[in-house]
Amino acid sequence: MDIIPSLAHGFAVAVQPVNLLVAFIGCFVGTVIGALPGIGPVNGIAILIPLAFSLDLSPVSALILLTSVYYGSMFGGRIASILLNIPGDSSAVVTCIDGYPMAKQGRAADALAISAISSFAGGTLATLGLTLLAPTLAMAAIYFGPQEYFALYIMAIVIVGGIATGNPAKTLVAGLLGLAIGTVGIDSATGVPRFTFGAYELYEGIDFVIVAIGLFAISEFLVYIEQRQTGPVEQVPVGRRTTTLRRLTYPATSLRAGLLGFVIGVLPGAGATLASFMGYALEKRVADKDSSFGKGNPRGVAAPEAADNAAAGGSLVPMLTLGVPGSGTTAIMLGMLVTLNVQPGPLLFQQQPEIVWGLVAALYVSNVILLVLNIPLVGIFAKLLTVPPHFLMPGVVVVSFLGVYSVNQNAFDLLLMVGFGAFGYLLRKLSVPLVPVVLGIILGTPMEQSLRRAMAASGGDFSALFQSPLALGLHAITACIIIVAILRESRRRMDEAATARSA
Amino acid sequence: MSDRILGILLALFAGWYIWEARSYAVEFGDPVGPAFFPELVAPPIGLLGLYLVLRPDPDPTWSRGRYLLAQMATVAALVIYALVLQPVGFILSTLVLVACLTAMLGARLPQALAGGLATSLGFFALFDWLLGIPLPPGFVFAG
Repeated sequence: MDIIPSLAHGFAVAVQPVNLLVAFIGCFVGTVIGALPGIGPVNGIAILIPLAFSLDLSPVSALILLTSVYYGSMFGGRIASILLNIPGDSSAVVTCIDGYPMAKQGRAADALAISAISSFAGGTLATLGLTLLAPTLAMAAIYFGPQEYFALYIMAIVIVGGIATGNPAKTLVAGLLGLAIGTVGIDSATGVPRFTFGAYELYEGIDFVIVAIGLFAISEFLVYIEQRQTGPVEQVPVGRRTTTLRRLTYPATSLRAGLLGFVIGVLPGAGATLASFMGYALEKRVADKDSSFGKGNPRGVAAPEAADNAAAGGSLVPMLTLGVPGSGTTAIMLGMLVTLNVQPGPLLFQQQPEIVWGLVAALYVSNVILLVLNIPLVGIFAKLLTVPPHFLMPGVVVVSFLGVYSVNQNAFDLLLMVGFGAFGYLLRKLSVPLVPVVLGIILGTPMEQSLRRAMAASGGDFSALFQSPLALGLHAITACIIIVAILRESRRRMDEAATARSA
Repeated sequence: MSDRILGILLALFAGWYIWEARSYAVEFGDPVGPAFFPELVAPPIGLLGLYLVLRPDPDPTWSRGRYLLAQMATVAALVIYALVLQPVGFILSTLVLVACLTAMLGARLPQALAGGLATSLGFFALFDWLLGIPLPPGFVFAG
């Protein structure tokens, strides 16, 4: 598999007018989604999936739409961080630390330009990494049989609990609940309806789009009701840049933070938020000689932005090559691809190379579009932030209803979505993370299929799951993660007990 | 306390889930059958639930008073909206829903009505006319 001719074919797909248009719209919408606090990338992408279906986009165009929204939201998240000191989404939290002080010093336009340029650098670096790494990993993945895949799916569910912050028991239970929700519907192998309560609407299973929109968008609204701030938020004016764009480029910072972000993104379970924190920490260690980080150091703006954009690109690697998503956003993309009858994984690279390479090429294009959109037009996005949220949030609710309604045009799905919204709100209050739930729903079916295929091949012998060295290796990693999670949990308990005693 | 309740509910759910799965026994077909995977998923849910009963996290601050009331009213409004969307139609039901939600979030009534009108007409134009995704017209516009 030669990379350069494949990529050339990809560019031929990416520059088709419909794909360019879709990439442009995706970048624009993504920047808006990222900029507005309260609508994160997972949320925005979940809402947009039904639209991609109802517009009858081809799989490659739909994927380009969603990934450019994803990249765009990584670009947009920084705008609110810098101008309002409120992160547009969770991966832009760190950008506040130096971005807002810069804006306060009258260098808001500089900070926005720095972050746009380093976002571009991080995104492009990650796309380059994806181009080089994905085909290699896909070739290795050909050696995966059903038992290896089963092991990989277990690992994907567990790893999110092992690495993420918070109570690992709750993260794990969230993933398992997702798997349980995924079993609703007619069992494809035997035709037995499972957990349907006789409701024929449930025979085809619960569409992950309904769950995702309910869990994220509707619960967000319920959270907003109790967290809303009274009074208008003060926005720092954008103003003019004080120096040339060339002097606002920090190549060394972008390279360091981008590489780190890409590696973190490739690892399942970590994602863009962790990457932005690590990118900032690394840059602070390397470049903070006069301890000006936190007081408006431009490098403190460049580093997290390069890292989180690179992580977004990196997280596409396991999704495309193995069909195992490592983050909520890529999990939802995977769900969409499966609905469109495209199964990501090693065979995708052989059978439908135009999808993979078209996407990769489109990512290069999207990055350029985003840079062009974000440098001169940043004022427009900043204006959007002045729209009071009490007009905006109900609009998001309506779009959520429209999205779910367009799937099957029935009231049952809408009620189900509201139900999952209330459920998601309760989970959030109890600090049970929502991403593993969606991950579980999407991975449940392929996980069960690979398990049953492995069992069918071995005639029901359970030990067959542990016979290949590759599967054993994956199970060993899973075991290590569980041990780490248990250790982390006991340490967390001890710390809590210590603070309780000293208080 | 909240975590203990969550844990009990999870354990009960796991018990019901495995009991329900047991009824899906099929003698033909593949060697493991439709009950096998649920039987694997349920025990860890139950065990983790019991763990939360024994070692709960500190309670979150639950919303109270008018915030709780507003949240319950929102869920009720969304349920009603889901039920009336098809018979009443998109434009009218969305206008009312958005106006109610906006007013609840603190806008004045004229502002809220204007917001509702703009949102419903704007989305109808965008989805139905521009993108060609049919929305329920309902009796108001069913001509």
